[in-house]
Amino acid sequence: MSATPTPDTGASREPLPPPASGPPDLEVRTGSFRPSHLIPFVPALVPTALLIAIVVELLISSKFTNFGLAFWGPHWIPSPSTGAPTFGIAVFITGSFLTAIPALLLALLIGIGIAVASTSYLPRWLTRWLDPFVDLLAGIPSIVYGIWGYLLVAPFFGTVINPVIYHNFHWVPGFGAPAPAVEGVGLPVAIFILMLMALPITTLLIRDALRAVPRDLWEAGLGLGATRWETTRRVAIPYAMRGIVSAGFLGFGRAFGETVMVAMVLNVVPAFPLNFYSGTSTMAAEMFTQLDSAYGNGQFLAALSEMALVLLAISLVVNIVGRRLISRFATYDVPGL
Amino acid sequence: MALPSSTPETGQDLLFDRSGRTQWRLGFDRAAGWLLPLLFLVAIIPILDLVYYVGAQALPTLSLAVITNTNPRDPYALGVPIESTVEVMLWATAVAVALGLFGGVATAEFLGERAAGWMRMSANLLVGTPSVVLGYFGYFALVLGLGWGLSFVAGATTLAFFMTPYIFRVTDLAYSSIPRPIREAALGAGARPYQYVVKVAAPIAFPQILNGVFLAVAIGVGETAPIVLTSTHSVIVPPTLFSPVTFLTAAIWLNFSQPPGPALALAFQAAFLVLIVVVALNIVVRIISARYQKRLEGLYQ
Amino acid sequence: MSAPPAASNAGTPTGPSDQLSGASSSPRRRSGTVGVGVAIAIAVILLLVGIAGGYFIGKGTTSSSSTTINLTETGSSLLYPLFNDYWFPNYTAPNVVLSADSTGSGTGQSSAEQGLVNIGASDAYLANASQTNLINFPVAISAQLIYYNLPGVNGHINFNGTLLGMIYAGQITTWDNPLILAAQNTTIAGELTGLSSQTIYVVARSDSSGDTYLFTSYCYMSWAGFPYKPATASMSLSGVPSANVLFGDGNSGMVTKAQGQPGSIAYIGISYEASAASAGLQYAAVGDNLTVANGAYAVSGSDYILPTTATVSTDANLGLTHLDYGTYGLALTLIMGGVPGTLTPTTAGQGGTNPAAAAPATQPYPIVNLEYALIKTVSGGNVVTSAALAATVAFMHWALSYGNWNAQGSASNWINAVHFVPLTQEVIGYDMTALASVQSST
Repeated sequence: MSATPTPDTGASREPLPPPASGPPDLEVRTGSFRPSHLIPFVPALVPTALLIAIVVELLISSKFTNFGLAFWGPHWIPSPSTGAPTFGIAVFITGSFLTAIPALLLALLIGIGIAVASTSYLPRWLTRWLDPFVDLLAGIPSIVYGIWGYLLVAPFFGTVINPVIYHNFHWVPGFGAPAPAVEGVGLPVAIFILMLMALPITTLLIRDALRAVPRDLWEAGLGLGATRWETTRRVAIPYAMRGIVSAGFLGFGRAFGETVMVAMVLNVVPAFPLNFYSGTSTMAAEMFTQLDSAYGNGQFLAALSEMALVLLAISLVVNIVGRRLISRFATYDVPGL
Repeated sequence: MALPSSTPETGQDLLFDRSGRTQWRLGFDRAAGWLLPLLFLVAIIPILDLVYYVGAQALPTLSLAVITNTNPRDPYALGVPIESTVEVMLWATAVAVALGLFGGVATAEFLGERAAGWMRMSANLLVGTPSVVLGYFGYFALVLGLGWGLSFVAGATTLAFFMTPYIFRVTDLAYSSIPRPIREAALGAGARPYQYVVKVAAPIAFPQILNGVFLAVAIGVGETAPIVLTSTHSVIVPPTLFSPVTFLTAAIWLNFSQPPGPALALAFQAAFLVLIVVVALNIVVRIISARYQKRLEGLYQ
Repeated sequence: MSAPPAASNAGTPTGPSDQLSGASSSPRRRSGTVGVGVAIAIAVILLLVGIAGGYFIGKGTTSSSSTTINLTETGSSLLYPLFNDYWFPNYTAPNVVLSADSTGSGTGQSSAEQGLVNIGASDAYLANASQTNLINFPVAISAQLIYYNLPGVNGHINFNGTLLGMIYAGQITTWDNPLILAAQNTTIAGELTGLSSQTIYVVARSDSSGDTYLFTSYCYMSWAGFPYKPATASMSLSGVPSANVLFGDGNSGMVTKAQGQPGSIAYIGISYEASAASAGLQYAAVGDNLTVANGAYAVSGSDYILPTTATVSTDANLGLTHLDYGTYGLALTLIMGGVPGTLTPTTAGQGGTNPAAAAPATQPYPIVNLEYALIKTVSGGNVVTSAALAATVAFMHWALSYGNWNAQGSASNWINAVHFVPLTQEVIGYDMTALASVQSST
């Protein structure tokens, strides 16, 4: 809108619309709206529809049974010899957290170490091979982890590692009596293999986060005389903290929902663990192993469905929080997340 | 970041400063340079041990006769689980591609920003959902709800639902990462949406989508819960859609706790086959993606 | 397919300075041509399709066609070896194959109830089966053994129901407990004492298990203080208080868990005797408490019985004398010689038939039971089609006759291979009558 007299170009008649953003529409709507115009959009609804369908189906199969406060209690007795069954999932929630959190912490620590080594200390020709190798860990099916863990790692833990821990740390509460079984299945081996499963995710995300640190920041730190370690610790890691936190959440989500490996390697018993070496149960493992014991038992199925809803809710929350912190494409290469 | 606290005594370069603190810092850094890469071993040794162990247990018993043994009267024949796995994966991949491919294209091309964001978030959440929850969905919705029973179609469809989000994500990414000038050029030349999607964009996006399908297949082959919860064991390849079906991972699950003998040998053979298929597919995926690496700076956030 | 880096300043190279991150500021253009990588991918796909096609072509030449009837069986892991390794592979009816699955008796019962499989296998009789159109068919007689993993003990340890119940209830926790020692001969007692308070590791079943039902029935009948009342609806040892409990999935899982833990004790079905033996486990001589007053355990060596075909048969025959088909059908317990008129006693410590009163020539091994197959009486649904039901009935005919007894009139090789005992002709007769009623309704 100019005040000076100009030739009539039409541009002064009315303000131009603001320039469009985003990709141009594929189709300019010329006619009236027809229902068939919706057809291209329908397939896009598939993931959301599937997610909603899962939630709805679990709600239906749980028959909206209200188990009351006892649902969060510690007594899980679906088939008592006398009396009414009680379905308390506190054991499984505790077990899921008890296996996932130590595994995640270990995976974070080691993942940070590997990512720092890969970005700062090792030459590119080496990391070009090593990084995909670590990412390959994510692709191994959990049942193969399970059979390896059950037949090789668990006896190793039972004969070598657990007795050493017991011998040296039995004075720590939780690491004492009863002595660990030679058989070896239990929390230690489950946490170890869960750590291996969460490791590629944490490593990938932290590595990407570290690589995204602008080079001028790296160079500034190094130029001021800081060693590589100091630069990493003081400059790069704080900058990459979002990615590290997200790696924590997503790795936790992976470890939390792990089913088959835990069912094979944890000494699954629906009771709180007596000490560090004993077994317990997690939500996913209990759901997996008990479904075929619950056929036809309406209440049992309802309780399992509600436990599935709790598991789904926790994993959704963890995933939402974790993904908010990173670019949504960051984990596409990693199977499982 | 702290500046070094010691000052050179004679104005020498800091590199040759022998003050204790600097020595410590440099030594620490050098030590970290040795110790941190050793952490790679934490990842590498278990995976090598796993592959070696499964291979060492399985290879002595594997032979071409064992792999092709489809005799239903032999309870430990490997041919039937292999063939069943191939059939299940064909069905599951077909359904997953049908759902995920069109969904991804629609999301990338037709939806607005906010709706597309919701769809992508749903797909990411589905990927992070534990497989046992999907198995439960398959059991309640397909086995019981639709009355399909413990059958091939229930198991394969549940597996398809498990694989769909991966294919959806990668199709969405592939179509989103087509450079805008190509899109605008096609539209400017008068292409209709169908023509753009199929004739212009598809050849560009095809390698990435294929890559994603391979990855989804690798993940599907290794899944246990969706099949075990929706099917029961079978000694023959399913003759009809509603017959039960076995799967390599289901064979492992059934036999891993058996004492050493033909049953445990079957478990190891199946585990070995699953492992090499998954590892091979993962390697292929990485090779292809390394060759066609794309950057998305600012294109489609 | 790749992960783009997180947002960074456009044009600024990212990553630590001694790395070449290879960032390029413009995306590589792809034209409409397919490249080498795609050719590789297509080749791989063609290879896979070729393999799959080969399989399908090969499949067409085998007997598996759409007219093949696949009878599915699931349930008891005690019956699983007999079904999976012997009966199913040797049943040569044309166009019929049978698939076995080992999931536990509880799953066998509920799967059969819901019509998800053709045959449900269970160690325990399913009460009110007719409500869901099921019939319980005894198909064989099996036994349960008590195994222990004590490398320092040579010979068979003596146990009875009271001791076992106390162990599983957590009241006896070490192998040199005086109660255990008092039941042994001096050699074994000495060896047990020499273990210097070795902890007893209790192995129990984690799935819904008929073996658990049998074991708890035996302990319940033996000891008035046993806290777990057996019920066919439960079949799990909920809340075993013993601090050192391991859980195994299926009988095979019990063998593996017991093998891996010295000092463990487990109840394992007799069909796993070979694998338990090769795992280094030894079975116990199990006593019948009824030789003395309830609550007190037998001290005489002759009251502890080793499981052999003869002792198992003796107990089975003793229990079958209580068969009252008209009132209870084929619901019968054979444990401790059976109890007249009920599945199991309703009060703990009520015991079974006193063998001393029945005066059998050989002692009866106490933990013996009928193995049941559950089949539907009417067809319906995708699985129990009329053709499948007819094939199931035909298989049952075969199993009850050839499966149990061979042409020479002695136990079939397959029954012997799993150390079972064949059914008596009386029971087979009742089974055939029930089968005929199923046949006439299809």
